Amino acid sequence: MRGLRVVSAVGIGVALVCGCAGPKTEQAPVQRKLSIAVVPKAVAFDFWRSVKAGADAAGREEGVTITWRGPSDERDVAGQIATLEDFINARVDAIVMAACDSKALTPIVRKARAAKIAVITIDSGVDDPSVPIVATDNIKGARIAAATLAKLIGGKGKVGLIPFVAGAATSTMREQGFKDGLKSYPGVKLASTLYSESDAAKGMAVTENMLTSTPDLAGIFAANEPGAIGAARAIEQRRLADKVKLVAFDAAQSEVDALKRGTIQALIVQNPFKMGYEGVKAAVKAIHGEKVPLYVDTGVTIVTKNNLNTPEVKSLLGR
Amino acid sequence: MTRNEDTSAAIRGTAVTWRRLGEWLRPLAALLIMGIALSRASPYFLTGSNLASVAVQTSAVAILAVAETLVIVGGHIDLSVGSVLALCGVAAALLMSKGAGIAVSCSAGLALGLAVGVLSGGLIAFGRMPSFIVTLGMMGVARGAALIITGGVNVFGVPDRFAAFATARWAAIPVPALLAGAVAVAAHVVLTRTSLGRTIYAIGGNAEAARLSGIPVMRVVTILFAISGLLSALAGLALTSRLSIGQPTAGAGYELDAIAAAVIGGASLMGGQGTVPGTLIGAAIMGVLRNGCDLLRVPVFWQQVAIGVIIIGAVFLDQFRRRR
Repeated sequence: MRGLRVVSAVGIGVALVCGCAGPKTEQAPVQRKLSIAVVPKAVAFDFWRSVKAGADAAGREEGVTITWRGPSDERDVAGQIATLEDFINARVDAIVMAACDSKALTPIVRKARAAKIAVITIDSGVDDPSVPIVATDNIKGARIAAATLAKLIGGKGKVGLIPFVAGAATSTMREQGFKDGLKSYPGVKLASTLYSESDAAKGMAVTENMLTSTPDLAGIFAANEPGAIGAARAIEQRRLADKVKLVAFDAAQSEVDALKRGTIQALIVQNPFKMGYEGVKAAVKAIHGEKVPLYVDTGVTIVTKNNLNTPEVKSLLGR
Repeated sequence: MTRNEDTSAAIRGTAVTWRRLGEWLRPLAALLIMGIALSRASPYFLTGSNLASVAVQTSAVAILAVAETLVIVGGHIDLSVGSVLALCGVAAALLMSKGAGIAVSCSAGLALGLAVGVLSGGLIAFGRMPSFIVTLGMMGVARGAALIITGGVNVFGVPDRFAAFATARWAAIPVPALLAGAVAVAAHVVLTRTSLGRTIYAIGGNAEAARLSGIPVMRVVTILFAISGLLSALAGLALTSRLSIGQPTAGAGYELDAIAAAVIGGASLMGGQGTVPGTLIGAAIMGVLRNGCDLLRVPVFWQQVAIGVIIIGAVFLDQFRRRR
């Protein structure tokens, strides 16, 4: 979207000017505050807000400046690359990022590292195994989702799958993990896989079409927040909340509400706060030349109506 | 007017009406063929529930497509409709979530769309700027504004009573489809039966000639974009009701769907040509295509190829017919 590009270019230009007017003009041997750029896949979802909260918390503890910027749409790969180029030119000390596309973002990550900027990936990595990643084990999480859904429908029946963006590492991993998980339940058949494109309206439309094309659909797994919001809405509108079980990733407000209403039976909740927090902590270590583990699994928690009010779940969701 | 002038005007009017009718018979035939093919391929296509779903899924784009038809017939283009949809949708959602009444919030959303449209129209008409550029810029401004006022996140807390509109039915027809239908009927009446409509066709056909014959071109162009902004806002409200959240990223790409619907339905991007019924058929063709691909489990990427092919095909056939 050209217009948006112009607006964000102007915005970044202004930000750079303001940034340059700051500490960089100081000549004194005062310790310059480290500057870390945190780039999510999109700024739009609850999930990423929690990542930001974690990053900010770690930033405060370490005394570093956190700059949060990302595309408004998880599919805007070119926009994310442009943002990273700007951060490289602005000579930040480290970048903590979630890649919109694992292949497309690999060259720019290598360029950043060549410019001596430390790069830590969170949630979605790139196709370079030497880049550390702090993320949910999405394959494992999706396997857990498959098992949860299969048990909810009594081990028999047809299910539907709603991943988000084909080509996005997390979407592909959840799709694969779900299909792997279903292998342990031979009575469960995957009837339809339709993408939500990380848009709630599309998620709702594909759910409606899935329900139409498979009238005996017993369960649906929505792989992320917008797909879940759309799927829950479609199921409620058709009054199929008792017949069709819904398991979803993430825990946006409307997903939790749907859980309380009984439209969603289980939420596979990640720990985005921890991703942002550990990502920034790892970045600081990397800047100081310390060794950083290549993989940190931030884990998933299955949240149902039964454990919704336990203190652990409350603090997990509270962020 | 003398009697002879009355008659020839009436005859010309009838001839024009019949010609316009012919313009959209072709897309209608295409839609019917698609429908028949799909009902053979999938037993679920021709069910009441599925057709109602398709109607609702297409209703937001249909409203935008009607707006686009008016603008395109007038010889311009509006690329900002998708972004204005999002902006007004989230503005209304924000107001409602803070406790403002539904009527107040919706009026504010519509007023915002109208204001954006007047601004665009003013720049295009009085500032003499190309509509492509102005609405391209407005697309970014509106999208950015939607993200700014929401902080980039979805707006929850839309009252259930408002969300109920999108699920309600009146005489078994879903309300969003009725809304799109009402908008289409109103626009069709304006285009075919009012002097404003004749003026729009005239401006689209030859803006300079229209101006020289005394038509207030600048005022009419501003009105065109004001209507477009208003309808985009209406579509935004409809989508917010359907999703029961305000999504600042909503409507992305809808402007291209709306333009495609108008073009498939017979509108010419040169202006002066196009009908609302044709556009509705164009929108229906795209909606049915998407629905069919989902029902038949055709990969989503082939959907995009198919829609592109249909757009090219529609314009090609139109050019071919015209050259003869």
